[in-house]
Amino acid sequence: MSILSRYLPISCALGASLLFFGCDKPQPVSYLIPKESREAVVPMPVDTEKEAASASGMSVLPGMQAAADAAGDLKYTSPAGWIELPASGIRKANFRIEDENGAAELTVTVFPGDVGGRLGNINRWRGQIGLEPSTPDDLPEFTESYSISKHRGLLVRLEGGKDSILGGLLPFHGSTWFFKLQGSSMTVLGAEPAFREFLDSIEIPDTHH
Amino acid sequence: MKQLLNFFSSLKVTVVLLTFSMALIFFGTLDQVQYGIWHTQKLYFESFFVVWSVPEQTAWHDQLFWLHIPLPGGYLLGGMLLINLLTAHAVRFKMTWKKSGIFLVHLGLILLLISELMTDLLSVESQMPVNEGGSSNYSNAFRSNELVFIDSSHPDHDSVHAVPAALLKPGKTVEIPDSPLSIRTINFYPNAEIGRATGKTIVDTPATEGIAVNMGIIVNPKEEIYAENDINTATAFVEVSGPEGPLGIWLVSNVIDERFPPQMVSVGDQSWELSLRFTRNYYPFRVELIDFKHEKYPGTDIPFNYSSEIMVHHNEANKSQKALIYMNHPLRYEGLTFFQASFANQDKTSIFQVVRNPGWVIPYISVLLMGLGMIVQFGIHFFKFLGKRRTA
Repeated sequence: MSILSRYLPISCALGASLLFFGCDKPQPVSYLIPKESREAVVPMPVDTEKEAASASGMSVLPGMQAAADAAGDLKYTSPAGWIELPASGIRKANFRIEDENGAAELTVTVFPGDVGGRLGNINRWRGQIGLEPSTPDDLPEFTESYSISKHRGLLVRLEGGKDSILGGLLPFHGSTWFFKLQGSSMTVLGAEPAFREFLDSIEIPDTHH
Repeated sequence: MKQLLNFFSSLKVTVVLLTFSMALIFFGTLDQVQYGIWHTQKLYFESFFVVWSVPEQTAWHDQLFWLHIPLPGGYLLGGMLLINLLTAHAVRFKMTWKKSGIFLVHLGLILLLISELMTDLLSVESQMPVNEGGSSNYSNAFRSNELVFIDSSHPDHDSVHAVPAALLKPGKTVEIPDSPLSIRTINFYPNAEIGRATGKTIVDTPATEGIAVNMGIIVNPKEEIYAENDINTATAFVEVSGPEGPLGIWLVSNVIDERFPPQMVSVGDQSWELSLRFTRNYYPFRVELIDFKHEKYPGTDIPFNYSSEIMVHHNEANKSQKALIYMNHPLRYEGLTFFQASFANQDKTSIFQVVRNPGWVIPYISVLLMGLGMIVQFGIHFFKFLGKRRTA
């Protein structure tokens, strides 16, 4: 018994300290700090570009910029006659096509996640050129499976009235890549061979294999 | 009583506990692949029990999904080992000079177990980013958030009223200290995707005030992530009430920060800026980054050395000091340790890991004690052996 009494204080102290730390619940607090200016300590480039919004249905918020930055640099061959514009913000590549029928623009963007899913994205594009939303059953009419950068993607062909869209969708290791050629119908549809050629030339750096 | 003591002090218990410890480390290491180190540490080592199951990503998940292995957690094993060692000393060991080395080793071991517990319970880690030429007087926790109301009406100081995000539970009301305000949480998402609706997207939001309404922000809740460098976008809808009743519902999120226009809450002629941000710890000193150096091996992008030259300006001038922080050379200052953790912004910003660990020195003492104990114990044997040879 003397042994127990000798070690009783130690075990009690240990037990009490456990209880004490265990009860350290968060509490609301209030405190004073020196005057602060509203300036981000680490300024990040958040170019909330309008173009980016049209490509994705969302404008750029910090997480998206980070995902775009992390996605690595794209390799591709630009088809003859396409005017390459500098990549900016979350756009990984940017082209302009002009011919006698009008003009069109091709943007390449990448976003984390599936950004609303395949049908959601296609219907957003349909909305942008004045088409009614589609049902999953109608998808085969204007989509075909298409391999982009050795991964299974989807080629989307949306014929509208004045404007049309040729698009590529590519789920790629947790992100989604969007290749969208949008502009006057004649120009866009006329550029289909060049667009396919462009998709074939794409190489996304793949660190997952 | 005697039987109980005998049981706890037995060497068999020690062997069983050590075996379980090995199993715990093995399964914890397996799970680290899917949870990252931070979450695994919480699950396996800062707990009493844990159940391991086959991770979903593995090839055998389809066949072995039913397999669950319960294991004692780190706290249980550590606590039992401590009791085992203490009772063994009480019951079996006799303090003699011949065994003094073993006693020292055991004392070191006891200290190590206690210091581990102290580190788990008391240490706080956060990050402090500082721009070159700029300075900072606070650090951010990157796993916890707080809802803050900031009153900037006073010419000399700002008044911060903070509610830890752990208290933002849907339906719960929290009084904001030293203010006439209270909040009721409508929804809290530990992680979410936040975007701006454009075109035909319909904005369906409980918010009635602030940025969510003005900019058409939509929220998609996501699962919480635990990987090392991933950050959760904590997001909440909170209803703020003044003395006269509810003032409206605001959307707050830790990505809606200084880059966005402030969200203001007003009662009469008093107003507060409302935001959800990474929990900040303010210090009575300011860390100024004089120069950040990022040296690479010539001709490559492989980093060779990062270093930050800093000046610490304390409110009490005599405590101010200069320091150079680089890999494996942290600054220990005012009970805090500043490590060079990372950098950003084209090498213009240095990021320090700020660790408060009151028990940091104990492991050093315990390792010294164990080393000393081994020297003593082996020394005694060695000299005994020498003595025997001489007499033989």
